[in-house]
Amino acid sequence: MPVRPLSRRHLLFGSAALVPLLAGRASAFGEKSRFIPAVARHGGRWDARLSGLRRISWEVQRRTSVEVLPDARPFALSSPEIFEYPFLYLGADGGFPPFSTAEVENLRRYLTFGGFLLADANDGSDGDGFDASFRREIARVLPRSPLTPVPSTHVVFKSFFLLDSAPGRVLNKPQLEAASVGKRAAVMYSQNDLAGAWSRGELGDYEFDVTPGGEPQRELAVRLGINLCMYALCLDYKDDAVHLPLILNKRR
Amino acid sequence: MDTTPFNAWKLVSLSPLPVWALVLLGVGVALGVGLAAWGVRREPARARRWSLWGLRLGAGLAALFFLLEPGIRNLQVARMKNRLAVLVDRSASMNFPVEPGGVTRSAEAAAFLESAAPGLSALQDRYAVEVYGFDPELAPVTAESLTKEPARAGTSDLLSALRSAGAGAQGAKKLGGVLLLSDGADNVELANGAVGRARAALADLGVPVSTFVVGQEALKDLAVERVKVDDFAFVRNSLTVEVEVHGRGFSGQDVPVVLKQEGKVVASKSVRFESSDDVKPIGFTFTPDQTGRFVYTVSVPVYPDEAVGDNNTRSFVLKVIRDRVRVLLVVGKPSWDERFLRGLLRQDANVDMVSFYILRTMSDDPGVVSQERELSLIPFPMEEIFDTKLDTFDVVIFQNFGYSDSSLSIAQYERNLERYVHNGGAMVMIGGDSVLGEGRANMPTLYEALPLEGAGPANVDSFKARLTPEGMRHPVTAMASGGTSTEAAWAELPAIPGANLTRAKPGATVLMDHPFLTSDGKNAPLVAVWDYGRGRAMVLATDASWYWAFTAHKEGSPSRTYDRFWGNALRWLVRDPDLTTLNVTADPPSVEPGRPVGVVVASRTSDYQPAQDAQVRVELVSVDTQKPVAVQTGQTGPDGVVRLEFPPPAPGPYKLVATAKKGETDLGRGEDAVAVRAVGPELSDASVRPELMEQIAKYTGGKTYRLPMSGLPDDVPLLDPPVVEVGRAKDKPLWDRWYYLVALVGLLGAEWFLRRRFGYV
Repeated sequence: MPVRPLSRRHLLFGSAALVPLLAGRASAFGEKSRFIPAVARHGGRWDARLSGLRRISWEVQRRTSVEVLPDARPFALSSPEIFEYPFLYLGADGGFPPFSTAEVENLRRYLTFGGFLLADANDGSDGDGFDASFRREIARVLPRSPLTPVPSTHVVFKSFFLLDSAPGRVLNKPQLEAASVGKRAAVMYSQNDLAGAWSRGELGDYEFDVTPGGEPQRELAVRLGINLCMYALCLDYKDDAVHLPLILNKRR
Repeated sequence: MDTTPFNAWKLVSLSPLPVWALVLLGVGVALGVGLAAWGVRREPARARRWSLWGLRLGAGLAALFFLLEPGIRNLQVARMKNRLAVLVDRSASMNFPVEPGGVTRSAEAAAFLESAAPGLSALQDRYAVEVYGFDPELAPVTAESLTKEPARAGTSDLLSALRSAGAGAQGAKKLGGVLLLSDGADNVELANGAVGRARAALADLGVPVSTFVVGQEALKDLAVERVKVDDFAFVRNSLTVEVEVHGRGFSGQDVPVVLKQEGKVVASKSVRFESSDDVKPIGFTFTPDQTGRFVYTVSVPVYPDEAVGDNNTRSFVLKVIRDRVRVLLVVGKPSWDERFLRGLLRQDANVDMVSFYILRTMSDDPGVVSQERELSLIPFPMEEIFDTKLDTFDVVIFQNFGYSDSSLSIAQYERNLERYVHNGGAMVMIGGDSVLGEGRANMPTLYEALPLEGAGPANVDSFKARLTPEGMRHPVTAMASGGTSTEAAWAELPAIPGANLTRAKPGATVLMDHPFLTSDGKNAPLVAVWDYGRGRAMVLATDASWYWAFTAHKEGSPSRTYDRFWGNALRWLVRDPDLTTLNVTADPPSVEPGRPVGVVVASRTSDYQPAQDAQVRVELVSVDTQKPVAVQTGQTGPDGVVRLEFPPPAPGPYKLVATAKKGETDLGRGEDAVAVRAVGPELSDASVRPELMEQIAKYTGGKTYRLPMSGLPDDVPLLDPPVVEVGRAKDKPLWDRWYYLVALVGLLGAEWFLRRRFGYV
């Protein structure tokens, strides 16, 4: 798939142009109706990818009609305030201690009544570190909704970009996993450090190398991030019958 | 003592001996005669032989005479008359003229009866003549009553009338013949002719039926003969009404046929009749755009020289329901407000949703080389959804949708949308940063259909929405039975961040408002509804109602207020009958001419409990004139239901408009439709059917005649009266005379003398 890498100059220029746009729109009308990522604060290293969240918000703003406020808002998982932010990011570089009962219950209610959780193994772990901690805690939060692999036919792979894989900074697992509430995937889990591929430093440099695919893989990770945001916002919209013929035709 | 003279006699045996004894004695006598004949068989002289034989035979007969004791039985007899039934058709078609401008068929039958009276009188000695009209019950008629009293029967049932006439044979008199005077327009058992069972039934009558055809065949008439349509249809789904138009005397002519819904033309077609007696089927396909019960009328013009004008229209009632509420959701940009509304509508089994979201505008750069290969986006099919398919939706929801750039502007479809609402559709406008005074979008034509209009910049201060007094009662915002519960349900919901500043238009009903934001000195409306034309519209002046769906759960107390609010809103927008407190039902929905119009009214209080002892007033409103023609009042029973009845009104479409009050409390208004038919099946067909009359005569052994004719024909087939009854009898013996004994002795003596003379003794 052809990918156009973004240069630092383009990023700075684009960001500069975007600032007044974002600020102006944000204050115009009910900013909380916009897409604002919330970040789950927990006992581990939860804040390792804040720049990645800011970056993906920026990409959503640039590439889609969605209105965003780019700065991620951190909240304790037990905080009622997370109910004002239906998109919640939970990541960590390494394992984290068990959630408290209040956190488990609050997160369960959040997911049950419509919230969306993107879990991201910043350490690219598989069977240890974040992966072990997250699987342990999500089993407590949604004991009746186990994580299952997301098939390539899932709407998240066509909610905006047409994708057929789910890479991040690394490529531990080719696909996502999901825990569903009803027909809705309330939790999406990537073991590939998605936000690591999105993250940029203060000067606009990408913070981490992307392996094994390099910059094309980074672009795919960005597109997957946008698709995840779109899925959180539009649910199964792209599964509507009106879209199917065109999408099937494009996938040939 | 009966002094009636004997008028008949017969020869009888008066012997007291039993039959077997008489037989034995008779045999004995025969043997005696035979032996005597045997004894003289060799007598050469023929004269002698024959003399002896003759004398012995005479003696034998004389002996038998004494054995049988013959006598004369004098009888008093009376010949029993057969019945002759004259049956005159009293179905309504007999009021048709025999020919254009001529007398009625009944009048012609009456004239025949008068002219045939002498002929019938001549049959009086053998037949008891009975003259009946049948409708199809038999009732005596005279020529005079036929002229004075119009025929009324709604059906022509010739076979039933013939059976009834035959049933009289169970008594003493047997039916000897039937004279049937009719136009032959049978619409029951013989509707398809005398075939199959009907033919066998005619033969089983066992009596000749002579038919007299009334009316001329060469009538000129148009009739809407048959309308075939289901009892109900689905709103915004096309249906077909199948109609049969019968044209007589319209060969080669084009005739327009029109289908109207309560005065409004729904569809029209033209038919061309190929022959002078032709039936043309027509199909009208149309799409009802509103739920409810409506009177439809199929009509053809009434031409000046037509025999009957009443059968040129035919009405029927169609109940239009919805299968699922078809919702079109058009979203300006993905947002949390859209996400929670979509989630709600998608899980509602009663909602069939089609949605279009603007995922990307021309100013957005998706960062792809090939949009065709890398994006899942489809072009926004504006023409299809706002023009071609718009009428297929029950509700259109615009969610923060408003663009001014040419690729996304719907300016050219605004009028379509406004008309869609005006003509019975439903529209919801949900606020946001692009609409209701915000953004650059301006949709003045579409906004005409909305109850609110922008009044200034949006306010982003957090606030708790407040119910208005109207909102506490209105079906959209009423959450439970009783205003207190409703108020409490809304009070539990969280504050929402921001609202469009709007003002209510005259006629709008504001259900919720802003507690401190004002426009024109009043609290700014948040939720408002109104009826626009035949449709309905609602505005929700915020894009943060998702707080009621999601944020409301942050304290751990599940709330379904958001779900109920939207559920109520959709039901109200599509006029769900269950949301009315007054339910009116015509019973039945189609009324035959001359029948009363019944209506059942079910009344409920605002908390949807049966309203006992409510005062109900129902107006029967003519759709043609839009004026009430009758009023009935009544009081509901414990179940909140009352049944009222109107005297038979004139034919046509009507609305039943009901209002109810309990004390000073208004319980609302409801309506239904009822069609009072101009003609029943009897009057829809003015044709004369001589072929059926001929068949009836043929299969029963009668003859067919055509009126007019003067006098009763001489050759009417009738069964002769077969029965003779004995009244009184008196026997007069013949044998007990002395000379019979002398004759017997003389015969025997003569034979003895001759035998001795001839040498046989």
